[in-house]
Amino acid sequence: MGVTVLQQFPIVEQRTGPSTIELLTKRIVALGATQQGQFLVDCETYSSVPQLGAQKTVHVLHNSEQPATVFSILETGSKTIPLITDGLFDLLMMKMSNFYQSKKQTKVESKGPRFEIGDFSVKLGSVAVSQNFKGILVEVEYRPCIVPAMCWDLIREFLQGFLGSSVSSTPPPYLQNKMQEVYTPNDTIQQYLEHFTVYRKSHFKM
Amino acid sequence: MERDVEQLHAALNAVKILRSNVGYVFESVSNGLRADHGEDGKDAKFVTELQVLLTTVNNNLRDVENAVSNLTSPPGAFNLGNTTYLSQETTQERQALYGQLVNSYKWTDKIREYSAVAGHILQTNSISKTYKTFSMTKRRKTQTSIHNVPPDVIENHISAIDRLFTDMTITTSRPFVLNPIIQVSLGRVLKAIIAFKGLMIEWVVIKAHAESNDIWTESRYRVFQKVTENSHAAMCHFYAPTMPELGVRSFMHWLHSYITLFSSPCKKCANHLHSNLPPTWRDLRTLEPYHEECK
Repeated sequence: MGVTVLQQFPIVEQRTGPSTIELLTKRIVALGATQQGQFLVDCETYSSVPQLGAQKTVHVLHNSEQPATVFSILETGSKTIPLITDGLFDLLMMKMSNFYQSKKQTKVESKGPRFEIGDFSVKLGSVAVSQNFKGILVEVEYRPCIVPAMCWDLIREFLQGFLGSSVSSTPPPYLQNKMQEVYTPNDTIQQYLEHFTVYRKSHFKM
Repeated sequence: MERDVEQLHAALNAVKILRSNVGYVFESVSNGLRADHGEDGKDAKFVTELQVLLTTVNNNLRDVENAVSNLTSPPGAFNLGNTTYLSQETTQERQALYGQLVNSYKWTDKIREYSAVAGHILQTNSISKTYKTFSMTKRRKTQTSIHNVPPDVIENHISAIDRLFTDMTITTSRPFVLNPIIQVSLGRVLKAIIAFKGLMIEWVVIKAHAESNDIWTESRYRVFQKVTENSHAAMCHFYAPTMPELGVRSFMHWLHSYITLFSSPCKKCANHLHSNLPPTWRDLRTLEPYHEECK
């Protein structure tokens, strides 16, 4: 498991989502990447029923990179608690439907092609909030390295070479607090959740 | 012409005999003491046996040198002579001959060219591999063998290296009694598995921390495969039969410079990436990072 950086890619007005994905695919293939199947990250959100007191929210996420794992993040308002479990947790959530109910129309997913180029793996995801296309998230993972501080410059150089000037020169806010720590799959999930929350909010505005 | 060929055969024969007798020497050395040496004075018997074998090798070497000095080098490129007319052969079954002839002509021509170059290089560079000390007192001081060192000496040496760097931890295991295999963790960047033969570094594999400690499989990451390749080059570069401690220590110093494998840009092109790899080469003297293509 290497360090992963998640980056939003802006869509210019005259382009649609699929055509932007196509453009990025062309670019990455021209750099020498080979496609290695598809990927999917999805997120479902549940809220506690009023009887349980102060409202808590549980986000349940799956990542095709860790297919046997369910990531769940509990938000109590003051704290966020991540929980990493195996696949049975999904069934447990169904059992708890009396206490935690899924919000309607909030399933978010990011899916698309997955590429490998050298030691990097690149994923071009189209984000959809309950089937409506919202934007594009590009995920770049540098697999040999496990500490973000050591390889951020290297990943930034790769990102800028491939996405152009839309890449900022400072690490994503979530990573900034974790630069010296060993990177875990949970950190990838946290980044996805942050982006998904932003996309969801934009959904409610419309 | 006839005489030339005969001499060539004699020389080749002499080389063959030399090779086979050298083979015997190594076989006898690797077998060590055998049962048929008996109990009494077995060391002396073994040494005598070795001496006899080495004398034979010496004689054979002299034979080879004599045979070689009798040879005359061919005056120049070979001429195809009348055989060129084979190209105008009309009979179907012989038409193939010309192609084969030209091929073998090309071969001999190449051999002539290469051997001339090789001969020139060998003349200018002495190929004596044995380190000779002429004064007796000095010879006593130098270690006669770096392959056969008492384990505690190696142990001391490895722990001295371990203390040298704070961000490098070494764990030792001895699957083959005398010769340790050490696992070097270099910060959170990589780990190296190094096999020793006495005080000589025999094999190095670089891997990610999450990968297995198996010494025979290479890393699944491109960057560590490259670093493994480069460390083999460094292993040969730092090989010093007369000063084995220094050789190992310099190698460790060099390996330690990989602590910045992912974070430091190439000294020459100032970029991090070149063909999707970070700078995987460290200069052997200055320890500066370079891409393979930039060094």
